Amino acid sequence: MGKVSGNLTASSTNNYAKVHPLKRAMRTKAFPLLVLFALMVIFFSIFPQIHVGPHAIFLRARTFWRILEALSVTGLLTIGAGMLIVSGGIDLSNGSVGSLAGVILATGVSANGWPWWVAVIVAVLASGIVGFLNAVIINELKLPAFVVTLAMAAAIPAVSLFMSRNEIGTFMGQINFRNSTLEAIGRHRIGEANTAALVVLALFVIYGVILARTKFGRTLYLMGGNRAAARLVGINEKRISYFLYINCAVLAGLAGLLNATRVGLAGAQVLVGEQFTGITAAILGGISFGGGSGGLGGAFMGIVVIRTFAQGTAISGASPYLTAPASGALLLLALAFDYFNTSRTNKRLTV
Amino acid sequence: MGQFLEFRNISKSFPGVKALDDVSFRAESGRILALLGENGAGKSTLLKIMSGDYIPDEGSVVLNDEVMNFVSPHDAIVKGISVIYQERQLMMALSVMENVFAGDLPNHNGVVDKAKLKAETKALIDKFGLAIQPETPVMLLPVAHQQMVEIMKAYRRNSKVIAFDEPTAPLTDTEITVLFDLIRQLKEDGKIVIYVSHRMKEIYDITDDVIVLKDGKFVSNMVTQDTVEGDLIKAMVGRDIGDTYANLDRNDTYGDVVLEVKNLTTNAISDVSFTLRQGEVLGFAGLVGSGRTEVARAIFGADPIISGALKFEGEDFLPKTPKDAIDKGIALCPEDRKEQGLVLHRSIEDNVCMPVLDKLAKFFFLNVKKCHKLTVDAIKKYDIKTPTVDKMVVELSGGNQQKVILGRWTSEAFNSKLIILDEPTKGIDVKTKAEIYQMVCDFAKQGMAVIFISSELTEVINVADSIAVMNNGRIAGVVDRKDATEESVLALAMLH
Repeated sequence: MGKVSGNLTASSTNNYAKVHPLKRAMRTKAFPLLVLFALMVIFFSIFPQIHVGPHAIFLRARTFWRILEALSVTGLLTIGAGMLIVSGGIDLSNGSVGSLAGVILATGVSANGWPWWVAVIVAVLASGIVGFLNAVIINELKLPAFVVTLAMAAAIPAVSLFMSRNEIGTFMGQINFRNSTLEAIGRHRIGEANTAALVVLALFVIYGVILARTKFGRTLYLMGGNRAAARLVGINEKRISYFLYINCAVLAGLAGLLNATRVGLAGAQVLVGEQFTGITAAILGGISFGGGSGGLGGAFMGIVVIRTFAQGTAISGASPYLTAPASGALLLLALAFDYFNTSRTNKRLTV
Repeated sequence: MGQFLEFRNISKSFPGVKALDDVSFRAESGRILALLGENGAGKSTLLKIMSGDYIPDEGSVVLNDEVMNFVSPHDAIVKGISVIYQERQLMMALSVMENVFAGDLPNHNGVVDKAKLKAETKALIDKFGLAIQPETPVMLLPVAHQQMVEIMKAYRRNSKVIAFDEPTAPLTDTEITVLFDLIRQLKEDGKIVIYVSHRMKEIYDITDDVIVLKDGKFVSNMVTQDTVEGDLIKAMVGRDIGDTYANLDRNDTYGDVVLEVKNLTTNAISDVSFTLRQGEVLGFAGLVGSGRTEVARAIFGADPIISGALKFEGEDFLPKTPKDAIDKGIALCPEDRKEQGLVLHRSIEDNVCMPVLDKLAKFFFLNVKKCHKLTVDAIKKYDIKTPTVDKMVVELSGGNQQKVILGRWTSEAFNSKLIILDEPTKGIDVKTKAEIYQMVCDFAKQGMAVIFISSELTEVINVADSIAVMNNGRIAGVVDRKDATEESVLALAMLH
C-alpha cells in the first residue's frame, strides 16, 4: 500500500499547481489600477507643488483618509451591486434606495421626533424591503433585473418626495435635520480617519474575504458563470439571489444614512445617479457585466482611482468644469484599455 | 471538367498551437468530401479559413484556378463559398424568406417586394420538397428546419461550395434522412460539398471521398467506398484502436435495487416505470424529443413530477430540487455540457468542486488544499489534458470538458450511487468516445447504477446492459443488449 502511493507521488512530476498568487494578482484588473493609482500619486505629489504652491500637499495621510471618506457612500453601493453582478444579477435602484433611507432618517428625527436609533432601524428595514421586492419580482415573475430595478429606481424617489412633503423649507424634497448623536457619529474621527472612511474600509475587507475565500463567495461566481449549471449541482440559486438583492439594498440604506449624517441633509434625489458610479467602479475593477468574474479588491481600486483623480485635481486647483470631463476621459481610457486587453485574451482562446 | 476547390499548403498558427501545418487537398464538384479528424485536428480552422473568418499564415485557397484572398466572411460569400456551422447564423425573429434572401432582398427603390420575395422563397422550398411556410419566423421552426433555411440561403446565393460542420448533431433520424436527400441534390446540381462529422455511419452513407487530418497535418485522402471503418479510425487516431465495443471490460454482477420508478409522469413523459440495480447500465434510446432527457431530469428533481412513485434504495423518494437528488447520491451529467453542465469561464477546480463545496469548507471558509487535491485527483484519474487546475474550462476540448464533469461526480468527496449520463459522447472524437465507454463500464464495476442516454443507436445498444426505448414520452419497450439490433430499437422508437 505504502509502496503504491510512493510510486504515485514519484511518477507525478506535475502537481498541476496553481499559478503563483503574485502572478495571478498581476493578471487581475486590480493590478493595472494599482499602477494607475501609483502614477496618479506621483503626479499629484509633484504637479500641484509647482503649479499651485508649497501649501498644495497631496502626499500625506490626511489626503488618503479624505479619499476614503469621499468614496465611502459610493463604495457601499459598489459592494452591493458588485456582488450582485458577480452572481449574474444587477441592481440599478440602490442610489434611490440610499436616498430613501436618508429621507426616512431625516423625517423620522426631525418631523416625527423618533429617537435616532429607531429612525436608523426603520430606514434599514425599509431598504431591505425594497431589496426583497426586487428579488420577488425578478425571481418569481422572472422579469429581467435590469428593467425591474430601473423601474424601482424611478419609483422610489416619488415615495421619498411624498414622505418629505410636509417639511418646512423643502426644496425638491431636501430636508435639513439636526441630531447631536448622529452628528457625533458622522463626524467622529480617530486620528485622520472618520467614521465613514472606517466603515467603508471594514466592509470592503469583510465582503472581499467572503467573496474570495468562502464557500458562499465561490457559489456566487459559479451562479454568475452559469446559473443553470449551478442549479444542477444543487446550489440554491434562488435563495442566494434573494439574499443578494436584500443585501444590496441594505448596504444602499447604510450608504444613505452615512451620507445624511455626514452632511445633515437628506433628499429624495441626493444619491440618485450614484449607483452608476458604483457600478462603473465595479466594472472598471474587473467585475464583468456577464457575471462570474472579478472581485471586490478590483472594485475597490476602481473607485479609489476615480476618487483620487477628483481629489488630486482639486488640490491642483483645477476648475470643476474641467475636472468632470477629464475624469470622464480617464474612465473611457481605462475601460478602452481593459476592453482591448480582454479581447486580446479572448482571441487567444478561440483556437 | 467540373469545378474544384483546392487548398494549397495551408498553415495557420495560434499562440502556442500550430492548428494547420502545410495542408493541401482538393474537392471536386459533384462529389461529397468528408473531412475527418479528432477534436483539435484542425477541421474547424480549415472551415474558418475557407469562409474568410481566418486568414491563413501561409498557403492559399483556390477556386477553379482563381486564388482567393479573403479578408472577411463577406468575400467568401461573394465568391460563392458558404459554410453552414452547427451554431446557426440566422436572424431568429425574421421570417424564412427574409433569412433566405438576407442581404439581397428583391426591392423597388429600396421598398421590399414582398410578393416576389415570397414567390421566390416558395419556389426554393418546393424545389427541396420541404414543409415550411415562407412567412414563418425562423425561431418558431424546429432546429432541423432552421438548418434547411440555412441551406436554402446558401443555395440562393448561388454558392459553388457548401460546407457542413456536424450538421446532424441536433437532428433526429428522420430529419437526417431529409437532410441527406437535400445534400445529395446539391451534389447532383454540381456543387462542391464538404462534410464534417464524427459519425462514421454518415461518412459511409453520404460521402464519396474522405480527407483525414491529425494534429493539423494532412494524413490521407481516400475514396470512401474503398475503406472500412477501421482504416479511417486508424488514420485519425494514428493507431489501431481495435473493436471498441468488443474490447470493453464490462461489469457482470448486479447488486441491490437502487432505483425503482413507477408510473412517473411529468409535463413531457407519462407512465414511465423501470428498476435499476447496482452495477447495471441502463441505456435510454429514442428519437430527439421522445422524453429521454426528461426522465433523467425528473429523477434528478430538475423538473416537477406530476404523479408516480420513486424509491431510492428502498425508501420513498420525491425530489423537488436537484439538491434532494444529489443528497441521495444521484449525479447528472447533462446533455448540453456548455449550457447546463459547466461554468465555462471558471477554472477546472471550480467546476470539479462545484457540488461538494460543503465538504471542502470549514466554518464557511474553503479549504484551498482540499479543493486542489480533489481537482488534481480528477485530472489524473481521467487524464485531463491541462497544465494547471487553474485553466478555464472553455479552453479545454469537448472530451476534456466531459471528463471534468465526470470528475466532479466521481470524486472521493461525493458518494455517487446513481450516475445519469445524458449524451456523454456528443461532439467527442472517436478515441475519447472509447475512453468514455470504458468509464461507463468502470462505474458499473464500482457498484454504481448507470443511466446512459444516447442518440447514437450503435453506441447505446453496445454499451448498455439493457436498453429502454422511449417513444412519445413513454417507454415503448426494454431490450437486452444481446437481443438488441439497430433495426429492432429503431422500430420501437418510431412505432406509432
